[in-house]
Amino acid sequence: MAAARLVEGLVARGLGPQTTVLAEEQHAPYNRILLSAVLEGTHRPGALALREKQWYADRGVDLRLNSLVVDIHRDTKTVELADRTTVPYDAVVLATGAIPTLPPIRGVVRMDGSLDPRVQAFRSLDDCARLLDTLHDHPRSAVIVGGGLLGLQVARALAVRGIETEIVEGRDHLLSSQVDASAGKVLKRSMAKLGTQVYLGARATRLTDEGLKLDNGYTLETDLVVLTAGGRPRANLARRAELTVNRGIVVDDQLRSVDDPDVYAIGDCAEHDGNVTGFVSPAWEQAGVLADVLAGDEAAYQGHRVVARLRATDLDVCVLGSPEDEAGEVVEIANPIKGTHRKLVVRDGRIVAGALVGDLSRVGLITQAFDRQTVLGEHEAGQLLLPEPSKSPRPELPDDAEVCACAGVSAGRIRACRSLEDVRETTRATTGCGGCAPTVRQLLATRPSGSQLSATQLSLEGTT
Amino acid sequence: MTDTHCPYCSLQCGMTLSRKGPRLEVSERSFPVNEGALCRKGWTAAGLRGSRERLTTPMVRDRVTGEWSAATWDEALDLIASRLEALRDEHGADANAVFGGGGLTNEKAYQLGKFARVALGTSQIDYNGRWCMSSAASAGNQAFGVDRGLPFPLADIEQTDVCVLVGSNLAETMPPAARHLDRLRENGGKVVVIDPRLTPTGERADLFLQPVPGTDLPLALGVLHLLDAAGAVDEDYIAERTTGFEDVRRSVAAWWPEMVERVSGVEASQVRELAALLANAEKVTVLTARGAEQHAQGTATVLAWLNVALALGMPGKAYAGYGCLTGQGNGQGGREHGQKADQLPGYRMIDDPAARAHVAKVWGVDAASIPGKGRSAYELLDALGTPKGPKSLLVFGSNIVVSAPNATHIASRLADLDLLVVADMVMSETAALADVVLPVTQWAEETGTMTNLEGRVILRNQAISAPDGVKNDLDIITGLATRLGAASTWPTDPATIFDELRAASQGGKADYSGITYDRIRDEDGVFWPCPEGSEGTPRMFAEDFFHADGRARFIDVAHRGPAEAPTADYPLHLTTGRVLAQYQSGAQTRRIKDLPDDGAFVELHPLLADRVGAHDGDPVVVRTPRGEMKAPARIVTTIRPDTVFVPFHWVGANKLTNDALDPSSRMPEFKVCAAAVSA
Repeated sequence: MAAARLVEGLVARGLGPQTTVLAEEQHAPYNRILLSAVLEGTHRPGALALREKQWYADRGVDLRLNSLVVDIHRDTKTVELADRTTVPYDAVVLATGAIPTLPPIRGVVRMDGSLDPRVQAFRSLDDCARLLDTLHDHPRSAVIVGGGLLGLQVARALAVRGIETEIVEGRDHLLSSQVDASAGKVLKRSMAKLGTQVYLGARATRLTDEGLKLDNGYTLETDLVVLTAGGRPRANLARRAELTVNRGIVVDDQLRSVDDPDVYAIGDCAEHDGNVTGFVSPAWEQAGVLADVLAGDEAAYQGHRVVARLRATDLDVCVLGSPEDEAGEVVEIANPIKGTHRKLVVRDGRIVAGALVGDLSRVGLITQAFDRQTVLGEHEAGQLLLPEPSKSPRPELPDDAEVCACAGVSAGRIRACRSLEDVRETTRATTGCGGCAPTVRQLLATRPSGSQLSATQLSLEGTT
Repeated sequence: MTDTHCPYCSLQCGMTLSRKGPRLEVSERSFPVNEGALCRKGWTAAGLRGSRERLTTPMVRDRVTGEWSAATWDEALDLIASRLEALRDEHGADANAVFGGGGLTNEKAYQLGKFARVALGTSQIDYNGRWCMSSAASAGNQAFGVDRGLPFPLADIEQTDVCVLVGSNLAETMPPAARHLDRLRENGGKVVVIDPRLTPTGERADLFLQPVPGTDLPLALGVLHLLDAAGAVDEDYIAERTTGFEDVRRSVAAWWPEMVERVSGVEASQVRELAALLANAEKVTVLTARGAEQHAQGTATVLAWLNVALALGMPGKAYAGYGCLTGQGNGQGGREHGQKADQLPGYRMIDDPAARAHVAKVWGVDAASIPGKGRSAYELLDALGTPKGPKSLLVFGSNIVVSAPNATHIASRLADLDLLVVADMVMSETAALADVVLPVTQWAEETGTMTNLEGRVILRNQAISAPDGVKNDLDIITGLATRLGAASTWPTDPATIFDELRAASQGGKADYSGITYDRIRDEDGVFWPCPEGSEGTPRMFAEDFFHADGRARFIDVAHRGPAEAPTADYPLHLTTGRVLAQYQSGAQTRRIKDLPDDGAFVELHPLLADRVGAHDGDPVVVRTPRGEMKAPARIVTTIRPDTVFVPFHWVGANKLTNDALDPSSRMPEFKVCAAAVSA
């Protein structure tokens, strides 16, 4: 996805014809974020496709699918493909993403190197398609290994499809890299309410004919095991080319390798300022910066604020930054009974991190303040977490309250009228947008008794 | 008793005027748009009649002393003509410029365009309609191949299933239109309102979304993505009636609901709710207004919503489709007949040789003598008094220093002119800066046609004679054209000019050739296109769109965001708009005593008020990189806490606004810029 965004940026800057894309996958790029929506059934798989092959061709971009790069030869400025052909470059960008880390569970990988048929990874469109295929066999139950964002999404997606799901998480609470233990507890409880059992502090050790064995002695009987544990930067090409790799390929503010001015890296495979990310928005931000850099414009990547949003039915989570690592004052409101836990970390008046679980009201506003680093008022962070005051029922309108904005008529002037016709004639209320008509009728119906008498008189007059 | 229409907005509500001694009285009249209803601006429209603020003699200002002196019409017109000639001789024809307005009748707009091209020979003419619906016009031309605000009568929205209003506060800006919304709801239909402020229009909505100013575009992208993901797009319609969907489908795949939420501040669940509402409706009508259009990416924003309507298969379907709620009284007609820098009458493009030949023949001039494309409104004003820019400006029907963005800068441009002439009925803020001010008639004192937001050509009938000393804009044009020895003929009778306009528009996209004053009177207006022998076209696109292949175009658009993002120094969004009791720059409405003129105010949320220490009714200062203004705070819970709102009817708001322009419509970014507020 980082590469796709970079190519869009290069095309927009007129560099399409100078661009070659070498992709290992057979699909044109697609939006990986939405895989769990496909699994859940809310998205057609086709709606994930980003640009089609023709789009690249129309813009002069040389897109080569099924092209696995095996080496970068920095001395000759060429890359070598699996079929031993080479492609020359002026600048090469590594957007190789991450590889899923398979948890060490015995029995998952069979003797011949293939996965046990009950086991599914969940990272690519192909994984998703395979998993959807297995659903045709109507599995009764599924165990999700990993209680992170992806694990929760997959668990919810399968549960929505009527499959009994369980989650196994090695750490002591759910979403442990994003939220604190009490928010994790709220989440666990919410998952239980939704019918998903969660096993914490438990590692799956072995897959046998009986089921998935945990290190706490339990065995979970299951037809389906989905591995959602994390990934790590895919940096083997960079390593082979003797570029500096820590966790990821180390790049500077121009996303340039610290070793070679003609090699760049963006997305999950890159490490900037000590950070690697597994999220789309920083990858896209990097792609935008790099498009500028490659077009010869001044641009610098200065890190990115991450907002992680869970996409799952009936489970609301939004994590801003790293609430467990960020220093600051913590404003927190929790109601475990209702299943809500809302926390903001505030430093120098700015929201520097936060976690909203179970209640996303004002999430749009909070995210804006976080992204823009708005300096808030003293009470504001707290007020943002409080429920919005509900509108109280409208009190009796005072005589000077404006009832009809179109004609500028007060309640008192309406009360002085005898009938709707009278209102129209003398005040012109109700003759504009018509929005005040219900209020006018109500005011006429609830006039003081004296005037009701005159209304009776009026009807008597009408009969004589 | 004279049947006519309201002088103000694009609804052009029907009304009847009766003479009561020297004064005029407004009474209701049945007309399909307003069905007898009027807002307080309409009811009090005759209030300027007999006002002491009316100008009744030409005024000339001494540049040295700044003093005004009265002049006769001959003196004033002689002076103007001689100065225009001298400037043309010295600097070339483009030294003289003309600035028109979307409130002028079709006859005036036509005559003004002809005057610029034939009498002055200048390419430098544009009008304030650029600041109105030009982004929707540009989008309509790209998608449909034609630009008519609403391609169906307004009352059609009563029969739709879901009506989505993007950036429209019609309940306050054109109140009688809200009756159609109410009837839609009585019929079981749903109303969706998208606005950074919960307005009286939003109060009527079944679903109200409150995005950050400048993010209606990604919201549309996200809605289209969800429709596609749910399989709710009309594949048959797309295949048969459109081109370009595949690229759009792919580009919106990058806009999942949580991404939209992050950018627009609208919760993902609400984006889903809107998509579900649209997916399950048979008839959807999407309407945009200034809130969506007045942006540096206004055209792209409208196109994004047009894509939604097209993907659902709505345009051309009965009681469904896309439309723009034009703002000014003749915003539609004003752009069709030649006061726009790039157009000739009949919505012909000025760089089209066939269009030039046709119009040259009607005008009786050589096609080569018609100048080419000039500068757009803001660029024209920005160039005034600069070495390469115009040295004079003639202004008709516009109060530039109140309504232009970055107004302090524009006032400085006007000050650098050799000659500024303003035709107005009162001493507006712009007139006050002029060298010569010419007093002109108001609507009840003249006859002419207007084209309302539906593309319906209507007739305003003269109800009363003009005060002594006041002339029609058409008389001024003729007076100057004659003095300049212009080729062609220069009638002053509106009916005669309309006949010429009909001939000039014949065969163009906005073809008026089959429309006559009598037909307009008999038929409650006539919808263009109306070639001779046609009944007119109330509903467009049932068979074909206006591109050569008959298909509508999906246009792939990207979100760039507002030209000016908030910073540490300017941490808020500023947006601008209207209040019910005032109209545009307020030159007329602020002088009508029955309309409350409470002055500008700054609307802000209690959270923000608390942050900056503002109190309701006490003054606050709003600053942007271009200027500042002070006005009382109005603390309301109906606005986003990260946004402030200032109405633009008074001097001030547009000292703050950003002059960044849309690349295709040249619309300035009135609706969002970065701002700071302090108590």
